Amino acid sequence: MNALAKHRAVLFAYLVTILLLLLGGIISPGFLSVSHLRTMSLLAAFIGIVALGQTFVIIGGGIDLSVPWVLNGAAVFVSLFAHNHNQPLLWAVPVLLAAGALVGAINGVGIAVTGIPPIIMTLAVNVILQGGILLYTGGAPAAAAPRALQFLAVGRVAHVPVVLGIWTLLAIAATILLSKTTFGRYLFALGTSPTVAEYSGVPILRTIVLSYALSGFTAALVGMLLAGYSGQAYLGMGDPYLFTSIAAVAIGGTSIMGGSGHYVGTIAGAFLLTILTSLLPALNLSSGALQVLYGLAILVSVSVASTALPKLLFPRRSTG
Amino acid sequence: MELLNASGVSKRYGGITALANASFQGHMGEVHALLGENGAGKSTFIQILAGAIRPDAGLFKLNGAPVRLGNPRQAQSAGIAAVFQELSLIPDMTVEENIWFRHEPLSLFGTVKAAALRKATLDLFRQYKFPSLLLGREVRRLTLSEKQLVEIAKALSHNPRILILDEATSTLALQETQWLLSLTRQLAESGRLIIFISHRLGEVRQVADRITIFRNGTSVAAYDMDKADDDTIVADMLGRRMDRLYPERVPAALPNIALKIRKLESEQGLADVNLDLHEGEILGVAGLYGHGQRELFHSLYGISHARGTIELWGRRVTLRSPRDLLTGKDGIALVPEDRATHGLLLSKSVRENLTLSAIYRCSRFGFTNSRREAALVRAMVESLNIKAAPEQPAGTLSGGNQQKVIFGKMLLTEARILLLYDPTRGIDVGTKGEIFQLMRDLSRKGYAILFYSSDLVELIHVADRVAVFSAGRIVKNFEGDAVTEHHILRAMIQKWDA
Amino acid sequence: MKASVLEDEDRNTREVRAPRGTSRWRKQLDERASFLVACALLIGLVAVYGSLRKGVFSFEELNLDTAAAMTLLLAASGQTVVLLRGGIDLSIGGIISLGTVLAATRFGHHPQTAAFWTFLIIAMGLLVGAANGLIIAVLELQPFLVTLTTWAILSGVALIVLPTDGGSLPPGWMKFGAASWFGLSSSVWLLIALLLFWCWFRKTRLCLAIRASGSNERSAYLSGVSLIFSDVAAYALSGTFAALASLYLTTQTGTGSPTIGNGYILPTVAAAVIGGVSLFGGRGGLVGTIVGVFIMTMIGNLVFVLSVSSYWQPVVSGVILLLAVLASSIAEKSAKRNLLA
Repeated sequence: MNALAKHRAVLFAYLVTILLLLLGGIISPGFLSVSHLRTMSLLAAFIGIVALGQTFVIIGGGIDLSVPWVLNGAAVFVSLFAHNHNQPLLWAVPVLLAAGALVGAINGVGIAVTGIPPIIMTLAVNVILQGGILLYTGGAPAAAAPRALQFLAVGRVAHVPVVLGIWTLLAIAATILLSKTTFGRYLFALGTSPTVAEYSGVPILRTIVLSYALSGFTAALVGMLLAGYSGQAYLGMGDPYLFTSIAAVAIGGTSIMGGSGHYVGTIAGAFLLTILTSLLPALNLSSGALQVLYGLAILVSVSVASTALPKLLFPRRSTG
Repeated sequence: MELLNASGVSKRYGGITALANASFQGHMGEVHALLGENGAGKSTFIQILAGAIRPDAGLFKLNGAPVRLGNPRQAQSAGIAAVFQELSLIPDMTVEENIWFRHEPLSLFGTVKAAALRKATLDLFRQYKFPSLLLGREVRRLTLSEKQLVEIAKALSHNPRILILDEATSTLALQETQWLLSLTRQLAESGRLIIFISHRLGEVRQVADRITIFRNGTSVAAYDMDKADDDTIVADMLGRRMDRLYPERVPAALPNIALKIRKLESEQGLADVNLDLHEGEILGVAGLYGHGQRELFHSLYGISHARGTIELWGRRVTLRSPRDLLTGKDGIALVPEDRATHGLLLSKSVRENLTLSAIYRCSRFGFTNSRREAALVRAMVESLNIKAAPEQPAGTLSGGNQQKVIFGKMLLTEARILLLYDPTRGIDVGTKGEIFQLMRDLSRKGYAILFYSSDLVELIHVADRVAVFSAGRIVKNFEGDAVTEHHILRAMIQKWDA
Repeated sequence: MKASVLEDEDRNTREVRAPRGTSRWRKQLDERASFLVACALLIGLVAVYGSLRKGVFSFEELNLDTAAAMTLLLAASGQTVVLLRGGIDLSIGGIISLGTVLAATRFGHHPQTAAFWTFLIIAMGLLVGAANGLIIAVLELQPFLVTLTTWAILSGVALIVLPTDGGSLPPGWMKFGAASWFGLSSSVWLLIALLLFWCWFRKTRLCLAIRASGSNERSAYLSGVSLIFSDVAAYALSGTFAALASLYLTTQTGTGSPTIGNGYILPTVAAAVIGGVSLFGGRGGLVGTIVGVFIMTMIGNLVFVLSVSSYWQPVVSGVILLLAVLASSIAEKSAKRNLLA
């Protein structure tokens, strides 16, 4: 595959994103206003940060279905620990970030050591976390999120939303991790062929555990930010993020099989999904129609990236 | 009477020409052997005949009438059945389910009855006097030679007009091999065409009526068996005089023992292995298929687990995983049997493949240094004469160059003990020579090399010493002048007496 | 090797064999370990449940449990076929939602309209499934992704048709859900029909082709299987079963819901895996899935009877799922150790 083919999907995703932006601008006044763009960037950041962890896991050949309830758990517990005060955040936030990473590490260890398929492992963990959290809270919504968290989520520093700053830093870190570290090499190798990785001396356990820990970390981070953004945690807030995180990764050209991909593509995916959602009121669409569009968007994106498609469209003549 | 006629068959993979204008004429009642070096195109050709690969060009005629062989079903309806080297069995199905797959006897409601399958299978076995094979077992639990027999039964169950056997004897024991060879003659006598690929000239002389020789992707010669002598055949296969394929054997072994193995045993087939591998020597390992050579290599590399005492450069070690072993100068490196599935990341670049096992050499604190990496890659590509650009995907390289990349990858780890498992399998003659020379150069530099080859001739020409495996043990060691084909063969097939 | 050498020696060169259990029982144990464990687990759960509640081993209990489990059973049946192919079908969530929603809004009061729409809903399931299979096979895309998108699209359509839970089903339809013949409820008869179907289907060439494609795709192709046809058939079956599940669901709930299908997706996978169906394809069967579904139903019953919070159910199900997969993974590894390399 030449360089252009590899980046075909990413370019396509960015192109569509720009087109959708223009479409929104044409249809609805104020769509391209600074405040609206800012809001969309914020929402895209939430998806993009969760999808960061998902990107790593998928590149490594796995998938993380535990994102919804790691996210929800962090949101619920940060509100509970803080009791509406700001100081507890100083320890609550790091502890919960670590807890998210720990859940991820448990996923990773389970998958690497016992050979349980990632779908099952992360699914089971998600369901167990769900039950556990529901048991603990008795199904009642949690307390409100403390002020500092709310500021973090919606506040700005020099007109730039804090969340965007966080996302940018994470994006840079992710890109460096993937392209300039040994961890990145090992991850790509693992996703391409676990057998060859083993024969090549790749530290499989460590690599898998790190990738899932990262996913747990980003899920927990977004959970707390979301709690600040909405003002409080509520049960079920993590569910949409499973679909959108996977969709963003897929739209961005990362192969679900693993072994290839860029975080830059995932960023495009996050924006694309957010803009689609924002077009809802502009296009007078119901949330149902949105779902349909989501699905079609992903389908088209992955079809574009499909290697079989060129062979179908331009068949090579052969005799005999 | 001519049964099969193929002409103008060509196939390219990216930049590599696998077949260029190859042609073939086979007749009814004939055993027709295809000979040629590895990489000459025989395998590609028969895969095209069996519909497993689509050619870029080619005309096929059956009994004079044109026929399409674009997919396995078309080939099947043309009466062609093939037994490939890489088996086409369904692991989770039983022996009889596999044999009759896609043409099972059906009952009233379109269902497959197990009893009918069993009966049909036993009838088939009886008809062709099959060596014993247990029914009812899932194929994934069979040994390789049992799987080969199932594969042969499967091909025969279609009652084919044309039967293709690709190295079908390579995994069979002696008796089974003899059975297959006489079966081939039997089938030919009943009017069929048997296309027989084997690199064992002895077998070919035993059964073939006619041979076609492939070289460099095309068919170069075809003649009747009795009109061909060995020298002509070999000359046609190589295209040049067979000179200096093997480097001169210069004893370079030092007294240091790099790898000392005592009482190695495992459930996978090692009984009591004792071995000393010296610094600077090339120790060859010989044995019939399944007698322990493979298990030895896997155990030494940490892929399977064995009990016993192992010392690396004088230090006792436990071999847990390849990760533990690729640790630099005191480590062990393996060039594995299967390039594509164990040795290379086909979709990744030559550079990424080369540096994967030794990435620590071009990184600090976990961050990779592209300049240092590029330098290491450049040096290795040059010294091994790898004909590829560093950013080229490894999957587009020829077999020989791919193998060189794997060598390079292992050499970059600086491990001085090299395990080479059939390193020249499927490689063209030119690259083979380079690899043998490389091995000799490395041994001269003090590397300790453990070397297995399925080609006995290769083994005796390249190794300093040869250890012969039988039933999980090393039964004999040969050195110097005693390293001959005859000695080694006798040792391989002798029953080991306690 | 010289031919004369071959003729010289008539020694027997048997290949080295690893110690292997020779008895038939041992072989069965190795090959169907996960399924047997699941059966044992189900028996254990029923026994515990029986000891806590009188009158468990009665037809009434069977009728109740089967009715509660039937929607999942039907959906999981389709998922089983797809899993055998080595794929996964996430779109059943959308098919189920859409099915209930269409039934609740279109059945009306005349039996003819109801019959017509029943047919249409089943056709919808079949065609969506076939489309899934076609896209997966022809474009060579990952089943997870393709069915994820189809699920989104169908859920969206369901939301458009009926934005919130509602609608109604004609009383005649509901009677079917509560009906019983010869003491067995309609759901038990459905279960029997399901088992009969499987008894027949598992021996058809199509099922063998699907299993083969899941076991080793390349071998199946070389043996003449049309991979496109296997995929289309497997996913079409899954879609059809999902549509049937949605119809059965409406006989129990009497309403349509655009989101109700979502909660069925992963449990179908879980039930199949617990019952011994391999995620990698080629191994397992519907009986195992049925056992898996009943295990999950029993867990729900036990949670209820023990008067603990119903939130314990997902926790226990999750743990059991993990243990089941762990057990089968260990069984696999020990079976491998008895194999020759």
